[in-house]
Amino acid sequence: MPLPAPHSQRRSAPLAPTSSAVPVTVLLLSAAAAGTAAVTAPAAARTWTVVTAVAAWCCVAATVLVCGLLLRRARRTAAATDAEVARLTAQSAQRSAESAHMVNVTVPALVNRLRDGARAKDALQQVTLPSDAQLRRTMESFGSALEQVVQYAAATDAERLRAREELAQVTEEVAEVTRTVLPDMVGRLQEGNSADTVLAGWEWPSSSLLRAPVEAFVRELARSERRAATAQAASAKALSRVQAKTVSMLADLREMQERHGEEIFGDLLKLDHSTSQLGLMTDRLALLMGGRSSRAWNKPIVMESILRGAVGRIAAYQRVRLHCSTNAAISGFAAEGVMHLIAELMDNAANFSPPIDEVHVYVDEHSAGLVVTIEDSGLKMADAAMRHAEEAVAGHMTDLASLPGTRLGLAVVGGLAVKYGISVNYRPSSRGGTGVVVLLPRQLLAQRRDAAPQERPHRPAATTPASGSARAATGSERPTTGATAMPGEASRTGEASRTGKASGTGGPPAPAVRPAAAVLPSASTPAPAAPRAAASPPTSSEVRGRDASSRPAAATPNGLPVRAPGRTMAEAEQERQQRRAAADSPTPGGAPGPTPPAARDAGTRFGAFHSGRTSAGEAGPSGTGTRPEPPAAR
Amino acid sequence: MTRRPVDTGDPDRLYTITGGRSRADDAFDLVTLIVSESAPTSGMQSEHTRILDLCRHPTAVVEVAAEMRLPITVVRILLGDLLAMGRITARHPPAPRSLAALPDSALLKEVLHGLRNL
Repeated sequence: MPLPAPHSQRRSAPLAPTSSAVPVTVLLLSAAAAGTAAVTAPAAARTWTVVTAVAAWCCVAATVLVCGLLLRRARRTAAATDAEVARLTAQSAQRSAESAHMVNVTVPALVNRLRDGARAKDALQQVTLPSDAQLRRTMESFGSALEQVVQYAAATDAERLRAREELAQVTEEVAEVTRTVLPDMVGRLQEGNSADTVLAGWEWPSSSLLRAPVEAFVRELARSERRAATAQAASAKALSRVQAKTVSMLADLREMQERHGEEIFGDLLKLDHSTSQLGLMTDRLALLMGGRSSRAWNKPIVMESILRGAVGRIAAYQRVRLHCSTNAAISGFAAEGVMHLIAELMDNAANFSPPIDEVHVYVDEHSAGLVVTIEDSGLKMADAAMRHAEEAVAGHMTDLASLPGTRLGLAVVGGLAVKYGISVNYRPSSRGGTGVVVLLPRQLLAQRRDAAPQERPHRPAATTPASGSARAATGSERPTTGATAMPGEASRTGEASRTGKASGTGGPPAPAVRPAAAVLPSASTPAPAAPRAAASPPTSSEVRGRDASSRPAAATPNGLPVRAPGRTMAEAEQERQQRRAAADSPTPGGAPGPTPPAARDAGTRFGAFHSGRTSAGEAGPSGTGTRPEPPAAR
Repeated sequence: MTRRPVDTGDPDRLYTITGGRSRADDAFDLVTLIVSESAPTSGMQSEHTRILDLCRHPTAVVEVAAEMRLPITVVRILLGDLLAMGRITARHPPAPRSLAALPDSALLKEVLHGLRNL
């Protein structure tokens, strides 16, 4: 700060020497002027002049004196004022220095200390406070205010850190729940665990906001899972009843077809067809619902029967042309599945082709298995539709949720194809429509096909003595045992041998020779195939051929029946009884022992028939003597 | 109702065997004798093959039906097919030339009476 002090000193310094010299000079000059006037004045006026001069000098002297006194006083005042100004200037300099110090040093230091966490009181003591009271108070209030601010800031900071930490934790938790826990829970729920089990298996985090939503989610999911499972089980159960009813209806219808004549035969066939279609629909739904097929076969089914069984279940079966020349048979376990699969594909082909066009089904045998080709001549499928169908038959739509509203059959085809390892492919047909190629792998085929051609010529000859006479013996019962064909045949054979044995003692002459025919094949040692053939399912010649050639003994050395694959135990038991009857009977009639079973010559048969037609009293041809056909049954 | 564990019948229904036909032409009655005229060829319906095998020697329709365990109507339809293809021939039994050739009713009654007395 510029100080005015040097200026005032400079002004007062030249003033000081003149302060005493100027009045003295004025007094001396005025005294000299008065003496001069008194000396030079005329004598007359001398006295007056002297008096005037002395008076005037006195006035001057008094004026000078007064002036001098006033001047001195003014000078003293000025000096005092100067001193005051200097003091104030110094004071203000000090203040400003202090202020500067406070601003530059103290306040930052105080701020630092407070920021470091010191209390305001301690910090104020450690810094040099300004001497000024007001500044000091300012500092104190500033310090306390700053302390509060610092504390508040620290608290806020801690709060923020805590919040951030919590947020991170929650984020991690959510991520974990989303990534691992929920899928795990959903998986376990789908495995059938209850919601409580699933929830108990999870280690809950400490601060789980997620607990409530996850729990609610799991419970809701469990309920919907349970609902779906219950609905599925209930419908499968209900469908299984419908299936059983359908099967029994089909059996009843078949029986009626045997029993009733031509007049209602057509109506029965119509009913049969409707029931078969119903069976296909029910089976389709049941398979979708996780149920089973309505039927199961315990024997290999030849391909022709498979195709016909399939075609009989669709509405437009008359439009389907089957071209099947193979003798291959499908194993019993897979027969129903294959039949259903082919039926669905045929149904699809028939539904999507014009109602006047035919659907052709070809069966070819390859080294990889059987190839069934179903070709229609309808419109070509669009690419998207074909892709969709391919996807469906590939078995990707296992979940009911992805089930299409229509064409449920293709989803069933997919399921069956996956189950049995069947490959189903769509391709454009050379007939203009769409072709489906079904490859039935070799493991689905029943294992014997080589012996069939050789067996065929001998088969009727080998089987007819036993089965023919058995049929004849129980011919009147035939219509009642129509539907259960295979066991019926077996039981009939056994019954024939039993009745023959019983009546051999005291019956009329014609029945007396009947046991000969019934027992003949078993009694003749070189033909083990004949009783077996009579008791085996007669649908496929191949089965018979295989069994006859490869079957071991029909009973153990201890006499227990041996069940060959594909046969029922009852069948084996009947056969055993039959054998025992053969062993016990003492070759009735004496004739037929060495006669080969294939000797069903024209004369015998025709004679048997003829003797049946003619009256009982007439004698038949000579051939009837050994094994006559019973005449009464016709 | 209980369900049988396995099915023992045949999967093919009768209408698939006959191709949907339910009426046979009247060329056959129960005792018409059938003789096959050719050997079965591959690709034939298995029932046709079976009939041709069975009828290598003259066989009555009813016998064929019993042998194949099919209703008479179905067998007649199948035989009609084969006859139309010329693979079988049908021989009707010689009809009695006159009423005199038939046993008179008195004799039949006597036989019936005797049978009842057995």
